[in-house]
Amino acid sequence: MATKILSVDDSRTIRLIVGKAFRPYDVVLLEAANGEEGLATATRERPELIILDVTMPVMDGVTMLTKLKEDPDLKGIPVIMLTAESGRENVLQIARLGVRDYLVKPFKEDQLIEKAGRCVTLQKRPVATPA
Amino acid sequence: MPGQPDINQYKEFARRYGIAATPESVSRLTQLVARQDSCVDEIVRVIEKDPGLSARLLRVANPRAADESEYTVGTVDEALMRNGIGCALLLAMGTPLSLALTKTFKTMLSLDLESVDIHQLDGLRGEHMRGSIGFSGKVNGHVYLRTSSLSAKAIAAGILGLDASELGNDEIRDAAGELLNIMTGNFKSNLCDAGLDCKLQPPRVGMTDDLSTPIEPGSGLERLAFRADQIQIFIEVTANPWND
Repeated sequence: MATKILSVDDSRTIRLIVGKAFRPYDVVLLEAANGEEGLATATRERPELIILDVTMPVMDGVTMLTKLKEDPDLKGIPVIMLTAESGRENVLQIARLGVRDYLVKPFKEDQLIEKAGRCVTLQKRPVATPA
Repeated sequence: MPGQPDINQYKEFARRYGIAATPESVSRLTQLVARQDSCVDEIVRVIEKDPGLSARLLRVANPRAADESEYTVGTVDEALMRNGIGCALLLAMGTPLSLALTKTFKTMLSLDLESVDIHQLDGLRGEHMRGSIGFSGKVNGHVYLRTSSLSAKAIAAGILGLDASELGNDEIRDAAGELLNIMTGNFKSNLCDAGLDCKLQPPRVGMTDDLSTPIEPGSGLERLAFRADQIQIFIEVTANPWND
């Protein structure tokens, strides 16, 4: 069974990079462009991991994380923050809310896979054999 | 600003998550500048200890000089006396930007981006890509990124790991916007850590042939230039500090 991962980022570039990083793995990648969409997708799809940006329009990542942790059905989903903001206040606030990991942009795809692999099982996608 | 227990807890989280610290000289300089009542001698000492910061301050203080032989302001002390402490703030802002930009190229494009004197590059002519991000709070200003259309395409292709021929204008613009986000996110963190809280506006990216840089009254301007292979990037930072 494929692992469901939700990427929440307003940047299409980042969502494409995240998608490319997980392509070799048996992963269903769900996408959302802000916290509001992210929360709705998390409620509907129950992903096994959320990769979350901080600065986004409509609803930012900290608000989404707060709401996620207040919801008894969603609070157990591990979250990896993926953000360019590594300021003390931000890191302290986010870490206290409860995140599994924190990755500062710019990042290598390998780093994301390594951190994601500590949260969920990542199985290599079977290689298609010619008929 | 957080107290000692918070700082220790932050250090613990930073260690656990592998978050790199801002260079000591830069965070010290930002803290001194943010205090407003800091003694100039103390700021001079911090800048003089870091050859990179000293060189950049002298470049800011001699905006018309083509090289060091044309400098009319020759010491850190003199540069701060003539230009005010605001130009030290520009240094404090430009360093995290510069580090984030070179790290992004190294990490995501496997390219060594070299910081060069702006006069060493050919410069931009005619239509080019310009991205900007505004920031507001205790410091107000803008960060501008300019590059040629060809360089913008090469950067987007490198970041996305795609062939340049596969890219549309939306992907190129979005990649330039993300590059700006990464750079400014890093420098905002440094400012906020020093007590200069500010918020970032969303990036705006488009094509223009206008090479002028709008500068608000009382603001300073620092221009930075970078090169990697055929790519040339120009960064401009304008800032008006201590806006309560």
